[in-house]
Parts: sequence; structure tokens; C-alpha cells
Amino acid sequence: MSHTVPPLHEETMQLRVLPPPPPEADPGYSFVEEPLPGWTLPPPAQMGWAADTGRRRRTVGLALLAVILLVQAALSLRLANSAFEDEALYIWAGHVEIGHLFYGAPNYGGFDTYFSGAPVLYPVLAAAVDSVLGLAGVRAMSLLFMLTATACLYGLTRRLFNERAGLAAGALFAVSMPTLFLGHFATYDALAVCLLALTGWLLVVVAPRHWALAAPVALVAALAVGVKYASALFLPTLVLLYVLAAYRHHHVRRALLRGALFSVATLGILVGGLVASGYLTAIQSTTTARAHGSTPTWQIVQDTARWAGLLVAVALVGTVTYARTARLSEIPGWRRAVPGRRWRTCLGVLLTGTALLAPAYQIHLHTETSLQKHIGFGLFFAAPMAGVGVTRLMGAHVKFPQWAIAIGVVALTLGLSQSATYFGSWPDTRYLVPQLSYTVRPGQHWLGDPKEGPVYYLSRERRTSYQDWLSFFFIDYKTRDGRRLSGIPGYRAAVRDGWFDGVVLNYSGGLAPAEEAVRQEMRTSGRYRLKGSLPYRTSTGTGHFEIWVRQSGGPR
Amino acid sequence: MKATSLGRLLAAVVTAVVCLAGCVSTGPAPVGAGGDGAQPAVSLPGGGTTYAPAQPYDVTPLLHPRKKYFGATFDGVPRDLGPVGKYASQVGRTPTMLEYYLGWGDALQADQTEAVWENGQLPYIAWEPHKATLAQIADGSQDAYIVSTARTLRAVNVPVAISLAHEMNGGWYPWGHGKATAAQFVKAWRHVHDVFQDEGVSTVIWVWSPNVVNPVPQVALKPYWPGDGYVDWVGVVGYYARTGAQDFAALFGPTFRQIRTFTERPFLLAETGAQPSPRKSAQITELLKTVAGRSDVVGFIWFDLDKETDWRVDSSPEALAAFRAAARDHRYDLDFTALKHTRQKQR
Repeated sequence: MSHTVPPLHEETMQLRVLPPPPPEADPGYSFVEEPLPGWTLPPPAQMGWAADTGRRRRTVGLALLAVILLVQAALSLRLANSAFEDEALYIWAGHVEIGHLFYGAPNYGGFDTYFSGAPVLYPVLAAAVDSVLGLAGVRAMSLLFMLTATACLYGLTRRLFNERAGLAAGALFAVSMPTLFLGHFATYDALAVCLLALTGWLLVVVAPRHWALAAPVALVAALAVGVKYASALFLPTLVLLYVLAAYRHHHVRRALLRGALFSVATLGILVGGLVASGYLTAIQSTTTARAHGSTPTWQIVQDTARWAGLLVAVALVGTVTYARTARLSEIPGWRRAVPGRRWRTCLGVLLTGTALLAPAYQIHLHTETSLQKHIGFGLFFAAPMAGVGVTRLMGAHVKFPQWAIAIGVVALTLGLSQSATYFGSWPDTRYLVPQLSYTVRPGQHWLGDPKEGPVYYLSRERRTSYQDWLSFFFIDYKTRDGRRLSGIPGYRAAVRDGWFDGVVLNYSGGLAPAEEAVRQEMRTSGRYRLKGSLPYRTSTGTGHFEIWVRQSGGPR
Repeated sequence: MKATSLGRLLAAVVTAVVCLAGCVSTGPAPVGAGGDGAQPAVSLPGGGTTYAPAQPYDVTPLLHPRKKYFGATFDGVPRDLGPVGKYASQVGRTPTMLEYYLGWGDALQADQTEAVWENGQLPYIAWEPHKATLAQIADGSQDAYIVSTARTLRAVNVPVAISLAHEMNGGWYPWGHGKATAAQFVKAWRHVHDVFQDEGVSTVIWVWSPNVVNPVPQVALKPYWPGDGYVDWVGVVGYYARTGAQDFAALFGPTFRQIRTFTERPFLLAETGAQPSPRKSAQITELLKTVAGRSDVVGFIWFDLDKETDWRVDSSPEALAAFRAAARDHRYDLDFTALKHTRQKQR
């Protein structure tokens, strides 16, 4: 039989047939490869597992990144709800600022005293987009920001580690709840995450290059803080990341000098901006001296675990394995030019630890406000280590892909359900606004919860204006006999006097004290009648909006 | 080379499609992911039908319409709406309000309520608490039933007038004077009203319905008044009997005057009729003319039943002729569609 077989091509055989196994079988996943005595390794060849980044590898990496971005966009865009009060408020504030900055209109609202970001940055941008494309356009802009953040994450991780870790990090970050949520949420969080991501990526890019390149990056970092003051929490991480990245190419002294330069430049820009704008009060009230809440620590920990637990756990695996071994034993000659253990430990701890900054600060404040958004900031930093964790669990030559599949499936499932839950947590005003649009007349006084949503939608139709609406947050009512009342007595007196033309209430298993007092006053005084009750369902329960209008005749 | 790039492109497209296919929703999406979170679909108790009202019916234009309600009640309604058509052909005008009774504990029939509205009448439900005392209603022990009735009404989404425990100032019903206190009545009324509001029902016109004070002059009405915020109409019940008041002023005047001491809410003659007598035709003519002419009366409901005596409009040819003639008055041309359109035109 054998003489009928064509002669074998020697070169092909060498490629196809495995060399005889070494005497002690290498399982393939051991992190420390024992070199066989007497062997010298040939120089690394241009092949699949090569250490350098060939053009093909780069293209494949970018193509897979494009797929990840496509999935992220699809998952974010599937989220649907009417404008959340913050979205409505920021866009509205932007219109006011535009009117003030460009057309000399009065700057009412005092947004600079309580916004947690500069009202002249994101709100103005959002309002400009809103004028042309509406809320959908502003939300699409947020998506663009979050896609940029994912792309920056890939670039950053690729530079620190490799493409495979970059793709794993990008995929985990892209399907996480905060990313999907912020990708369709028109607040300054998405822009802030994007700018921080851009800063991180740029710092790693400029680290081996000229020291002066850090100055323009400082501008981006300062802009991130200006857009959302809480971004400053992540500046130390960025500085340390820059120092670590620079240390790989320069001496320790020069690396530290670069870090100091970047810090000084960023702080200089921030201090300059602060002095010029006078936003210090707002920064204190919204960010540094934020009101303490009463949320128990355990609940914050639990929610953090639900939203960020998986990614942080994988990042921990990445941190530990990376500290132990610099590289998987895939590439011949990998021992050359790997960073030292101390550097690896520092990087891992820095990146993973940053994910816990925001929850730790919120535990300190005992408040869960916006936690689901703030976690997203930290996840960006932990994601590279999570990418490393996934590649390490998969092993050399992707020997155990089931790890990546399992982690990916769990991450996708959690991201899908959690993002939908949080995007559906506020009541949809889809039917409330049309109902109000033929009830509310320009110049009428309205009291409302919700207030921002109706004001945003109705002012687009020129039905009402921000000044015509009061919320249940604050009232300073002057009674007919000249007394000034605030709080519940103020609301009661205003209802008794029939000062409001209408009232919108949000009933969900009960009412807040001020709203309950107003409803009771409307019932007992008989000056208002319930015009419509609009039932709604959120991801957390059911309720209804009530529209009350002043009766034209009025009782005796 | 070309084949390779084509293959790569194909592979990229297939990967993208496979990844995106997982994002395509199948079946109802959860709230927040495109699921309908604005209006829940409601299953009706017993009915099994599911409704998803887009907007609650706005009853405010129905409270003080310029035209008058031309109401009636018959035996067998609302199960059978045949009498409505028969009455309409008899008197030459289709009623715009239909009163019927709901015993406490009985399920409000969604389909019947809707059918009445579709038939052109505002459903007027006289809710009679025979099976529960006012004290029980007030203390919350009847809430399951109140809530289920409220939810049915919210799902049906048609305007409905409700009078709870009518003729409470008389002593002939178990909830009436002498069997329950005025304070209990007020507490029960407010409780039912509040539960309805808490359940998101805004389509109810609340009718406080005392009997005329003439037979019970010693019972003051004011203690029974739940407050302007709880009542839309004052539905006075009064009949022209062979003995007693013989004209509008004598029958309703004293009650109207007493009520005007504590509220300005408009009147409705929630139940009226005339016993057969030589004066019946004249009483009918005067009644319909007075109701049409008074701006503080929104309409009347004719008790067209042969119960104890023949209150019906056709008890004699003369009475029917008088009714037909008086019913021709254009001030009874109430048009619900026009009212709704007026509302929508304001948009």
C-alpha cells in the first residue's frame, strides 16, 4: 500500500507533525515553563504568537473591536424610556445658558450653584444637539462617548498588555450595566467617562515619548473634571498610571517628574478654571460636601457587587496572576523585557483598586444616589485587569476558551437585565405629557412631581416655561396677608389660595409628605379636581400620575 | 488575494450578524428595554378581557356641560338595554344618562358598563351598601371589594357617575338616618373616594344623593356633606306623589335652599317621577322646563318603573304627550362626542 502514496513534502510534514513530546509532559497551562537543559531557543519567528504587533494582528484586533462596539451600540439603543428628570434638567439648563451666553437672556435657575458639573460645558453641548436632533440625538451623543471610551479602553489595554486582553477588557466593559445605561442617558456622565478614558489612553501613548506631550493631555483631564466634578476622584489613578507607564521606558526619577508635571498642569488648569468661574460652592454642595444619606453600608456593598462584582472579581484574578507571571508562555523568548514583579503588582492594584473608589466614597456618605452611574467610572479602570484575568483563565494558546465563554455569558446576561431594569426605573411620561399639553397654558402656575420632564417636553411646544413650575423641593410662598411661608405650610397656603392652576402628583404606593399634604389640602378645600389619573409601570413597581386642575367656579 | 479579502469581509459580516442576533428582542421586552412601562394592561376580574387605556377619559367637561342630561332608569338595565331604545322612541329623545343599581359586594360588570356608554348614556351607578355597614366600609375591611371595583373602572375607562348610599337622610334604607350616623356616612364616603383615587381612577363623577327633605325635615343635611373636594354633583331624589308637594318649587325648593347653605355644587335630579294623577302632565312639563332653564341643575333622571305605583311616562297618553313635547327642548341636546371634541380641539 505504501508505495501508492505520493512522496511526502518534507516542509509540510515539519509544520503538521508535532515534535516528539519532551520527557516530562508539559500540560500547556503552567505559568512557569521549565526550560529543558541544554536547549537554546531560536529567535522568535513572525507568527501567530509573536511578541510584536504585526499588521494582521492589528487589523484582526480592530475588526473584533468593531464587533464589540456594534454590540454595545445595539444593546444601549434598545433601552427606551422618556426623559429622566436629570436629562430634562440639564438639557433645559443648556438652553438657558445658550440664551444667556449668546442672546443676552437672563440666566435664571441658578444652575451653577447646585449642578455637579459646569453648566456651560455639557448642558450647552446637549442643548445645541437637542435643538437639532431632540432627546434621541443627545442620547446618541452619549452613546458615541461611551463607544469612544470602549475604544480607548482597548487601546490602553493593548498597549499595557496585548490585543487579546484588550478585546476581553473591551467586551466586559461594553456589556456592563453602567456602560449600557450611560450609553443612552443624556447626562454629563458619559462625556466625563469618555474624557477620562481618553486621558488614560493618551497618557499611556505619550508615556514613552516627549515629556511635553503630557500638557495637552492635562487639558483633557481638566475638561473631564469640569464636565463632572466627581471625575477628580480618578485623577490620582491617572497620574499613577502615567508614572507606571513612563517608568517602563525611563528611569524612576524621570517617570516621577513626568507624573508631577502632569499633575501640576492639570491642577493649574483646574484652579484657573475655578477662579474664573466661581463654581466652588456648587462643587462643595454636590461633590465634596454632599449631603449624607441614610443608606446602610451593606446595601451599597450589595448593589456594588451586583453591578461590578463579576468584572472586579475577574480583575482580581488578573491582578494576582499578572503579579505572579508577566506573560503566558506562548511566545518564545518571552522572558526578555518583561516588567518586574513590583511594577506588575502596582499596576494591578492601582487599576483594580480604582473600581472601588466610588463605592467607598458613597459608603462614606451613606448615599446610593447615582451609584449605578459612578460605578461605571471605576469599571473603566478595572477592565484592563479583567481583560488580563480572562486571558489568564483561558490559558496559553486559548486552551480553555470555556472560561471566556462562561464569563462573557454571565456578563452579557447581567448587563442586559440590569441596564433594562435601571433604564425602566423611572415612570414613562409618554402619556402624561400629551395629557398636560392640552391642559397647561402659557403663563400658568404649576406644581409638579415630575416637574423637569413636563417642562422639557412642553417648553418645546412653547406651552410652558421653567419659571412657571414649582417642584415639591422648595417653596417660598407669600400669602395674601403678606406672610412668607416655606415647606408644607407654604404649599398648603398656596393650594388654599388657589395659586396653582394645576398640580401633577406621582403616586406610587403612597406619596411623599409634601405631596400628601397638598393632595389632602386639595380634597378638603375643594378648589381642585382630579382631571386624570395615568397609570404607569416601572421596573420596580406600579403607580399613577395625577393631574389636578383648579375648578373654574370654585366652591363657596 | 481578492478571494481572501472577500472571505474576511464575509467572516466579519457573519460575526457581526451573529452577535447582533442576540440583541434582537423576541416577545415582550422588559420595562426599560422597549417594554411598555407607561400603561399597564389590566385583566378584568371575571371578564378576562385585557384593556390598555392610552389616556384616561377626561370627565371634567362632563361636570358642567351647557346642555342638560336627559336621564332615565328602567327595569332590567343594564343587562338588557332594550328598554332604553323603547323609551327613546316613546319620548322622542335618546336618554343621555342611565341609572342602575349595584348591590354592595356584587362585581361591577365591565362589559355592561361599557355597553351603556357605547349606547350613548352616561352610566349612573347607585351603589347600595346592603351587605356591609357604613362603619365597615369606613374602617377598611371592605377595601378588597372597593379596590377591585376601582380597578375594573380604571380598565373600562369610560366616565361613570357614582352615588354611594343614596337617600341617606331617610330612614328606609339600612344605611339611612337612624341606622348609621352622619359621621359614619361621611367617613365611608371619603374612604371609598380616596381608595378610588389611590387606585388611579379619575373617571368617576361623585354624586352625593340625599332624598328631598320634605318627608324628613328633622334630619339636617349638612352633617352628611363629605366636602366639596369629594363631591361633583348634588343628586337630589324627589317624586311627585299624589299627596305632598305638587310643583317643582315645593318639591325641591326647601332641599335646594338648605344645600345652598353649605355648597355651590350643581344639582342633578337623581331620581324623579310622578304618580298617576290629573296633574301629572303639568308636573312633567314644569319639571322638564325648569331643569332646562336653571343653570344650577345639570339634568334629571326619570324613574320609569312601575314600582309601588306607575311612575312611567306612559302611564297615560296625556302624560306621554306632555313628556314628548317637553323633551323636544334643544337644551337637552347633550352630545358627548362634541364635548370630547371640544376638549381635543384645545390641543
